[in-house]
Amino acid sequence: MAQVQSTNIMTAKEGDKVISSVGMIVTLVSFGMLFLTLMMAFALYRFTAPVWPPAGMTRPDLLLPTLSTLMIFLSSFFYVKFEKNTSTGVVDKKNLTLTLVLGLAFMTSQFLFWSHLKSQGIFVSSGVFASIIYAFTWIHAAHIVVGLALLVWLFGALNSGDKLAAVKVSSVGKFWHFLGIVWLIMFVTIFVL
Amino acid sequence: MAFFEQEIHDAPSTFLSKYVFSFDHKVIAKQFLWYGIAFLGIGGMMALLIRWTLAFPGEPFPVLGQILFPDTNGVVPPDTYAMLFTLHGTIMIFYAITPILIGAFGNYCIPLMIGARDMVFPTLNMLSFWLALVSAILLLASLFTPLGGAAGGWTSYPTLSTLIGSAGVGQTLWCLALFVLGVSSTMGAVNYIATIITLRAPGMGYFDMPLTVWGLWLTAVLNAIFLPVLGAGLLLLTFDRVFGTTFFLAGAAATSGSGDPVLFQHVFWIFGHPEVYILILPAWGIVSDLLSFFARKPAFGARSTALSMTAITILSTVVYGHHMYSGQMSPLLTQSFMMLTMTISIPSAVFFANWLGTIWKGALRFDTPMLFALGVVFVFGLGGLTGLYLATVSTDLYLHDTYFVVGHFHYTMAASVLLGGFAGTYFWFPKMFGRMMNETLGKWHFWISMIGLNGIFMGMMIIGHAGMHRRIYNPFVYEFLQNLIPLNMFITYSAILMGSAQIIFVYNFIHSMYKGPVATQNPWNVGTLEWTIPSPAPHYNFAEIPVVKCGPHEFGNPNLKGKDFQYQTEELVKA
Amino acid sequence: MTLLLDLYLKLFVSSTFAAEGAAGAEMVKVGFWEAIKPPVDISTYGHLIDSLFMLTTKLILFFFFFVCLGIFGFSYLYNKKRHPKALYTHGTSKKQIGIVAFIGALVFVMVDMQITTISNHDYVNVFLNYPKESDDIVRVEVLGQQWAWNFRYAGKDGVFNTEDDVVTLNDLRVPANKKVIFQITAKDVIHALYFPNARIKVDAMPGRISRLWFELTKPGVYDIACAEICGTFHYKMKARLTVYSQAEYDQWMAEVQERSKYITEVDRVENYWGWKWVASN
Repeated sequence: MAQVQSTNIMTAKEGDKVISSVGMIVTLVSFGMLFLTLMMAFALYRFTAPVWPPAGMTRPDLLLPTLSTLMIFLSSFFYVKFEKNTSTGVVDKKNLTLTLVLGLAFMTSQFLFWSHLKSQGIFVSSGVFASIIYAFTWIHAAHIVVGLALLVWLFGALNSGDKLAAVKVSSVGKFWHFLGIVWLIMFVTIFVL
Repeated sequence: MAFFEQEIHDAPSTFLSKYVFSFDHKVIAKQFLWYGIAFLGIGGMMALLIRWTLAFPGEPFPVLGQILFPDTNGVVPPDTYAMLFTLHGTIMIFYAITPILIGAFGNYCIPLMIGARDMVFPTLNMLSFWLALVSAILLLASLFTPLGGAAGGWTSYPTLSTLIGSAGVGQTLWCLALFVLGVSSTMGAVNYIATIITLRAPGMGYFDMPLTVWGLWLTAVLNAIFLPVLGAGLLLLTFDRVFGTTFFLAGAAATSGSGDPVLFQHVFWIFGHPEVYILILPAWGIVSDLLSFFARKPAFGARSTALSMTAITILSTVVYGHHMYSGQMSPLLTQSFMMLTMTISIPSAVFFANWLGTIWKGALRFDTPMLFALGVVFVFGLGGLTGLYLATVSTDLYLHDTYFVVGHFHYTMAASVLLGGFAGTYFWFPKMFGRMMNETLGKWHFWISMIGLNGIFMGMMIIGHAGMHRRIYNPFVYEFLQNLIPLNMFITYSAILMGSAQIIFVYNFIHSMYKGPVATQNPWNVGTLEWTIPSPAPHYNFAEIPVVKCGPHEFGNPNLKGKDFQYQTEELVKA
Repeated sequence: MTLLLDLYLKLFVSSTFAAEGAAGAEMVKVGFWEAIKPPVDISTYGHLIDSLFMLTTKLILFFFFFVCLGIFGFSYLYNKKRHPKALYTHGTSKKQIGIVAFIGALVFVMVDMQITTISNHDYVNVFLNYPKESDDIVRVEVLGQQWAWNFRYAGKDGVFNTEDDVVTLNDLRVPANKKVIFQITAKDVIHALYFPNARIKVDAMPGRISRLWFELTKPGVYDIACAEICGTFHYKMKARLTVYSQAEYDQWMAEVQERSKYITEVDRVENYWGWKWVASN
């Protein structure tokens, strides 16, 4: 390959970082718009309804959602530690495993939450509020599944001894933290308030 | 600016890796082009079925009628008619224009014009095409379900599109097909944005990019931001249909419902208005460049054209309510949307003036791409101006849901975008396939299409102004529409003429691919980067990454010797 | 253009089609300019829309004329044979930018601001200016359904949703020169109540009540249509509007009150049909 006379060529590593960061940021803007639309729909229902929850519906019990919030927060916390260690070159299986385990625990708590709702008499077809609770948590969970797949992929790469590119770690991290923030917003606006 | 040099991979060797599962943006572009042209044909056929029914109600459709509709003796039945206009709209927007303008031209032109060897995420690119194919299969499958495909209009307002109005699985498949297509287009958008930001050749600032790339970039930004909004709406509608949620169910027929059908309209049009700009921006970019290339003159006010397109992109996000004036939103909201919609006139007028400024005192050559570009200027001028009637609330109270709207959006989409797409096809054909398309056939294609297009869509605006409302199977049950029978027939004949002209194009396209005259490296004598490499482009695009030293429209510089243009890799010749 | 249309009229009109339900309409051969006119305006405010449409057309044609002058004129004048050397300008001189900016501003001020001002005025002061409840007005409730229009009058007691309500199917009759105000909803899917002769339409949405008012001036029989896709027979959702003189209207109302035996479903409120009039002012 010929030498190129030009200004400002990045090295391959730096170029990768910029590219993947740009890619992940655009992707997160896209996903963010999906959740923003859902939130807009929720706001419309919430503020045009004469009473909330709408007639006759009980609020879901807060225990499981609160546990979910805790788990996803801790999961992000351990991932931050994993990222910090990896950036200094340390192979940190422990923190990544904790992230993954807590992520799986989050999914489990979601499943438990959905069956608990049914025992409370809150079914999918029980009206607008129930529709919101189920639909929004389903959509969020679908994205968590993608996130878990990405974490497993990272874990596989770590296991096989490859040196993990910093950019892969930070991109997956952005996505995972994003999902945690979305959950937090949903938790506060839909369950608590 | 960021620049990262991609390596030159080995050329693919097997048939599958060369033509089917290719990572090469040029191959993926051609795949999208074939895909889009095929659906253009299907959507066009549906349009002819619709036009036949409107001009000759009760008459069997010739030839195909007996095969498609044996139960009614070849006459299009009313429920099928509803499916036809629904799928005509859906197919033309998402399966014809999007793949051709954005999938094909976006993929082909962006890396070549910015001096890159491929898109930044080639695997994502390939995935984007295959997802689009999955989406097409889902949509076509919906036609073969027992109760048929979606029939609530491409806008699929609830509660008609919920189980109340549309039983069966056809509408659900429609929702899923569009969702998958949205994912495919969003992947493409991520790719285009990241590529343009990070892979521009050294020396290429944003305002050194050709306007085609500007158009495609702004389109990608709108796609990335607003497709997920449609996605959310489709998900909620699907949940209503499949899981029994009540987001959009209301009214007496909704036994469990405290939802809001109008919410869907808001969500849909928050996406829907940017979508129409998504469809037209690439065409604007292509026309801005082609006018300069064939007038042998720099693009007049190129920077302000780019900025106007950006301004329109931003404004398009806050005007969606003008689709909902008849739904009685609050007067304040209604008037605000009117005001904001009106402001789009200013940047539109600016780049229009720039277009005319580009051909002013040029040395015009009327090759086929230039004819089509000038055609866009004409039809978009008409179509864009007629938007004013619809932006105005009081006239819209009469014109909403009439053929005036249909005429307006077809002028701006079917006419402008289609002509822009043809302009691009004739222009980049030599670079794609290494041969030239036939000029004579191209000119025939242009003139017959222009006559046909204007006949159809001016006719539609006239009957719309006369009060004919849309999406009706037989208009002549109404007294007030009796006088419009001849005009409806005229529109149908124009449509048949226009459809026939496309046969010339398809023949020209396929024949030229194999038997057209061999193209030189730069048959149009244009200086953008894709013309510095052989035709057809080699798989690695650039053997050496070019260094950009001047703008893309350097034509007619009096200090040039020998040729009347400069390649972007040459220093700007000064006196 | 007129020649072409006349040709089609001669060749095709009298024989080719078997229009479903064209209701024995005699195909009166009208000239092209007559055929493309909007339906006769029988309302007090339709002319506002027609005149604004005309004004917008004139303004648009003014600018489009210059666009065409540019396209065709420049194509002729600056053909490479006639004008072989292009002018090398990027269009960035102060004068050139000024001209473009001026054009943008001119379009905005001359066209947009003018029509916006007129439209705002008409919208707020006329179309949204619902008649006062205390005035002598006719009130009609409208229920759109797949695929028919139901109209309900309050009857002798002046109260809606009582046993003496007059309910008609696809048959709206109103007196001329009196303001009529409608409250509209739909039972199943979204429809739109469209009065072509009054230049007005409004959506009929399930779960919501929308409003419309008009005052009509010419007695006669006219069409009402549905202007929002509502299913297979959307095209057949036609109703008849009869405009009577006041005397004829009173006579009809008296007759129909005697004959109507429609049982109002007072106990089945969830059917959303018949509701207490929502007084606004």
